[in-house]
Amino acid sequence: MMTRMEKRNLAMGLLFASPWVLGFLVFTLYPLIMSIYYSFTSFNVVQPAVWVGLDNYRELFFKDPVFWTALYNTLYFTLFSVPLCLASGLGIAMLLNQKLPGQSVFRTLFFLPSIVPIVASAVLWLWVLNPESGLVNSLLMQWFGIQGPGWIASPEWSKPSLILMSVWGIGGAMVIFLAGLADVPPTLYEVAELDGAGAWAKFRHVTLPMLTPTILFNLVMGLISSFQYFTQVYVMTGGKGTPVDTTMFYALYLYRNSFYYLRMGYASAMAWMLFMVILAATVGVLVSSRKWVFYHGE
Amino acid sequence: MARVEIKNLNKVFPGGIQAVKNANLVVEDKEFVVLVGPSGCGKSTTLRMIAGLEEVSSGDIHIGDTLVNDVPPKNRDIAMVFQNYALYPHMTVYKNMAFGLILRKYPKKEIDRRVREAAEILGITALLDRRPKALSGGQRQRVAVGRAIVRQPKVFLFDEPLSNLDAKLRVQMRTEISKLHHRLQSTMIYVTHDQVEAMTMGDRIVVMLDGVIQQVAPPLQLYHHPVNKFVAGFIGSPPMNMVEGRLAGENGTVHFIDKNDAVCLTVPPERHAALKGHLGKKVTLGIRPEHLRESGTPQGAEGASIKALIEVVEPMGFEINLYLNLGGQSITARINTSVEPTVNTQHVLDVDMHCAHFFDMETENTIV
Amino acid sequence: MANSRKTVKTALKLGILGLLSIAFVLPFVWMLSTSFKHESRIFPPPGQPPQWIPTTDVRDDQGRTLVKFDGKSAVDLGAEETGRHHLLLDGKQVEAWDHEIEPLQQVGLHWENYSKAFEMMDFWQNLRNTLFICFCTVLGTLVSSSVVAYSFARIPWRGRDAVFVLVLATMMLPYQVTLIPLFALYSKLGWVGSFKPLIVPYWLGVPFYIFLLRQFFKTVPEDLSAAARIDGCSEFGIYARIILPLAKPALATTALFMFLFQWGDFLNPLIYLQDDRQYTLAIALQQFQSQHVSAWGPLMAMSTVITLPIIVLFFFTQRTFIQGITMSGLKG
Repeated sequence: MMTRMEKRNLAMGLLFASPWVLGFLVFTLYPLIMSIYYSFTSFNVVQPAVWVGLDNYRELFFKDPVFWTALYNTLYFTLFSVPLCLASGLGIAMLLNQKLPGQSVFRTLFFLPSIVPIVASAVLWLWVLNPESGLVNSLLMQWFGIQGPGWIASPEWSKPSLILMSVWGIGGAMVIFLAGLADVPPTLYEVAELDGAGAWAKFRHVTLPMLTPTILFNLVMGLISSFQYFTQVYVMTGGKGTPVDTTMFYALYLYRNSFYYLRMGYASAMAWMLFMVILAATVGVLVSSRKWVFYHGE
Repeated sequence: MARVEIKNLNKVFPGGIQAVKNANLVVEDKEFVVLVGPSGCGKSTTLRMIAGLEEVSSGDIHIGDTLVNDVPPKNRDIAMVFQNYALYPHMTVYKNMAFGLILRKYPKKEIDRRVREAAEILGITALLDRRPKALSGGQRQRVAVGRAIVRQPKVFLFDEPLSNLDAKLRVQMRTEISKLHHRLQSTMIYVTHDQVEAMTMGDRIVVMLDGVIQQVAPPLQLYHHPVNKFVAGFIGSPPMNMVEGRLAGENGTVHFIDKNDAVCLTVPPERHAALKGHLGKKVTLGIRPEHLRESGTPQGAEGASIKALIEVVEPMGFEINLYLNLGGQSITARINTSVEPTVNTQHVLDVDMHCAHFFDMETENTIV
Repeated sequence: MANSRKTVKTALKLGILGLLSIAFVLPFVWMLSTSFKHESRIFPPPGQPPQWIPTTDVRDDQGRTLVKFDGKSAVDLGAEETGRHHLLLDGKQVEAWDHEIEPLQQVGLHWENYSKAFEMMDFWQNLRNTLFICFCTVLGTLVSSSVVAYSFARIPWRGRDAVFVLVLATMMLPYQVTLIPLFALYSKLGWVGSFKPLIVPYWLGVPFYIFLLRQFFKTVPEDLSAAARIDGCSEFGIYARIILPLAKPALATTALFMFLFQWGDFLNPLIYLQDDRQYTLAIALQQFQSQHVSAWGPLMAMSTVITLPIIVLFFFTQRTFIQGITMSGLKG
């Protein structure tokens, strides 16, 4: 039995929350349910969906090598890009987290690339990595006399190129690391110093444990966005995932199935597989985090 | 102006905690009533129910002739001063004070007149254009009071308004609020945990504990005639000494003997009648620090003195507070002497048994 | 002793930071430099070092280009189709082949990449579209997310915390899962090919900003609401007259982030905009790139134009920016 005020609060609360409730029902819950349904159909938007049972999933697993290529490419990218970005974000944050002249200028310089519109940065990198006249290969030639590789255009270098590019956008993670570093109580360092800890020991036994929640946050965010990597590779390969599918990422292949081949049922099945992979990865990280994440005050 | 009446008031929070238990109280028109008690005793909850910020679980609240249980706060014609001032940080002092009147669509002229008048009374006219951030704690408190005044409400509610101020300001604001009450002649209900504030400000004091009203009385009556051990111990500073023991009566005499059999005090004959029923039973003796006196002074009652070890001496100027150890029980004495006693010596004090209180050890109610 | 070691350490760190930051900034400089170069300078002959500073040809007072020939400077009088140039060298006419001469260069900017890009892209229309979408989504997010955040932060309704967990959970949902049903839904509504799919959802609360604003709203003392209630505010009055004015920093962060996201958003416009009159800058740039694969001058000019406002905006709002990221990261 609710009291008058509880009833009033419930009514008011729902009234204020109603935009979200409506949005959730129409733009999240309904599509979520329909997406499951579509994944069991053959559907091209124009004609009504036709039930095909598990055909889409069967095709994904047993008949579509590109699906596996896309999955492999995405996992490959994630496996290298996420740790690399975490490490370099943390490294730069640690360098910045000291009383150095020009600290805020440096912070700005490292942060800027992460706010550039992705399309612009993709076009820019396409030019920077241009095999003939791009900046990187010109400099390699000028400084070391090395003929640089074809980067994006080369099957061996296309993924490493994208991984290197992703390091350019670590600004957000870096700022979060900086905030995390600022939260480490200075007294802990003083105590560690009194205990005779050197720079490495302080990092290993004070900084790193205190930063684990921040690392976890950046790791989860990095994983989720890396699995959905799309815009850069769409722009840089004209939506084709070239050369020879070496940059056919999962989200790109899903997009192609949806809007090039109009196989929306098939793409829905792909979306659910992606969701499962992301969920498994996130849950895996969160479960493991109980072992390595240290929370203040525990 | 109005009287406030609370009938069988109860408040049960979700989760089952009962913050107020069957409270009954009448605050007369133009009266200044202080609700006092330790934190968690339900005094603030009671006040917030009067304000309409908390819902009544059962019981009635009347303001004037109106039953206000279901009336929203804005229509109760009350004003409230909060502990943390609750000034709107984004508004000037003027706007803070005027806000309630603006919402009630008072004419601009009237608002201006009231705000300036209130500012005059509180001496904050010079601050009207400032924002709360630029004010000191005392000034903020004045603005908070001013905001209440301009509304000219039927009832003023104060929720620990002075606890965020430093000691000196607190004393100053205390007298100012008292003066304000005389000037405005309106009903005021004031919540505090500080018994000194309660004693100095209230026409009547309501002592609460664990959601239950213990006693409602004017300050001096509360001081001299507490209804139970809690009220006796809560009111007065330093607090009343409580010595556990029993009453022994033989041959027309009555003695109080402490639980260690270390002290035996003779009870004066005029109190025998009241204590008759408790002879041989366990009681707590309550004795205020000022009723312990240097041995040999005229008021010392016959056959009622104690010898205790002085642990701390606190010279207060006019008086001295002594903290003593009486067979394991701590007691405090407030004596008036020119010679400062020495720490760690045994000291003999007379107990004024005419002023002693006796409490039933089980019910903790006052026997006499 | 210890002091000088410290100095060396600081210098070393500064050196590392300096090198790294140069590496981070170099692509920007390259972009800017390319955008101001003449076509002929964008692709240097193989083996030549990259040219950082844009240059223009040197001309004499009659507008004739000056060239370097045989170690001396000469006036180029014009060339035949064969590639044979007529030169004026020390008052005498001489002839020289294309590869024997080199145009004299001076520091100077070529703006024609910009004008070319503007023409080829229908720039102003694209900018209008982008700004319109930015404006509508920022406004929608501010209004809807703050109202919803108010409910979750300041009204103690039954079931609130459970529902809030749901809000957070939706943030974890990859967009691909809802992509197709939403597309189907918008097609049915006839919204595909209009701005509606890009705007309407933002008027129904955006989980991330609901979360951000809720965190901020919770820091406002509860007594302020109580005081406002006694002063005569309704629930909406407390939201509009007390909480919102106090939440300006969080609202600024929200507006900023949303603007930034919309300015550069690619996927949604890619899916839902079909007529190039509707294109946003991001889509237009990508389209332009796919049609003029090696027009690096105009491409870099356009990239500069899209990037520059963001960088300028960042410089004016750095604090809001950094605070916003920190807020979203640490309280998560």
